[in-house]
Amino acid sequence: MAIIKCEVFLDHLEPWLEGERRADAQAHLRDCPRCLAIVNDLKAIQAEARTWSATETDAPERVWVSLRAQLEQEGLIRDAAAVSAHREQNQPEAKPGWLYGLFGGLPRPVLAGAYLAALIAVAFALSGPVHKRVNEAKWLEGTQIATSPLRAELNTAEQNSISSVPVANSDVSASLHRNLAIVDNYIALCEKSVHDEPQNELARDYLYEAYRQKADLLAQMSERGENIQ
Amino acid sequence: MPEADAIRLAQQGDASAFERLYRLHNRRVYSLCLRMVGNTAEAEDLTQEAFLQLFRKIATFRGESAFSTWLHRLAVNVVLMKLRKKSGTESSLEEITEPDEESGGPRRDFGGPDLRLSGSIDRVNLQRAVEQLPPGYKSVFVLHDVQGYEHNEIAEIMGCSIGNSKSQLHKARMRLRELLHEALRAKAREDRKAASADAGGED
Repeated sequence: MAIIKCEVFLDHLEPWLEGERRADAQAHLRDCPRCLAIVNDLKAIQAEARTWSATETDAPERVWVSLRAQLEQEGLIRDAAAVSAHREQNQPEAKPGWLYGLFGGLPRPVLAGAYLAALIAVAFALSGPVHKRVNEAKWLEGTQIATSPLRAELNTAEQNSISSVPVANSDVSASLHRNLAIVDNYIALCEKSVHDEPQNELARDYLYEAYRQKADLLAQMSERGENIQ
Repeated sequence: MPEADAIRLAQQGDASAFERLYRLHNRRVYSLCLRMVGNTAEAEDLTQEAFLQLFRKIATFRGESAFSTWLHRLAVNVVLMKLRKKSGTESSLEEITEPDEESGGPRRDFGGPDLRLSGSIDRVNLQRAVEQLPPGYKSVFVLHDVQGYEHNEIAEIMGCSIGNSKSQLHKARMRLRELLHEALRAKAREDRKAASADAGGED
């Protein structure tokens, strides 16, 4: 059998690690503690790396919430009803975005709560950075005042929307409630951030975004509730 | 909803299909980003960016490659772009995967005969070593040894040949070994210092 040198063995290291067993490589490894050490080290690295995949976790929910907001802002996603209408009528793309979901047609009575919440949310957003630059203290005070009725309106809209989803359809109901819980958690986090750092404009932007998502979700719940009924 | 249906509906802008695709794949993409940058906040941003690019381009997906391969390709590109920006250089892919090619291949550092990695590697020191790898090596190592992709899939994801993928993996592992040995030697030195300081204190 030909005797191979370390350099030759190392050139065939990867096939060796993948299980290929050449006689000359085996012979070399028996007599070469340095190459044996390399093989053992690389096996140990591989073994440790493999354990990492077992502990993979989902990205935090805020990634999806933020991604969805971005997709809506860019008009890349529509709700199922809009997609269906688009397919059936083969019409040009509907005007995109969450605002279209609320204002695209005449708002039905069942959407009134979410509609109103959205209006307040928009007003809240518009009262943000512009006022802040003019009068910081007044803006901060205004923020506190503006968010209270918004929260109340969202609560009312939530009750209306939940009652519009039939209990019998447990899958839809569970899914909507799950999404609602996610957004509520997100709102709680954002409210805490704004409370802790009232001067932080980014925190206020996130809070506004969270309120907006809830209004959007409630509108969807109402819409789906009507479709199911 | 099966993935194929979700892709078709997402191409029409269906919100629930987007969410389905996100739920199916976010774990692997987030893990890839996390292993590549070693920082949860950045990994979150990169995951969002990768999916955003995916959804912007989903109408162009024709199924020539597996959807997950396509998504991983986008994710790897997003991460590599980020790492390139961080390093402040406009390096080519070759440069970031072949930082010491002038030496004609992987360094053949056999390590000290008294140092063995087996039994001394843990998650923390391996992650530290991975963070020090050049971005290209890091990508191939994470894709192959952590996420279990085959070389033909990595070649598609990275836009390189299968041979190149194998070569990068070999170099990545050898570089990791060097880094881990360096860390082990540093720790041994510190232990010796501490021991001699203790002995000095007792005198």
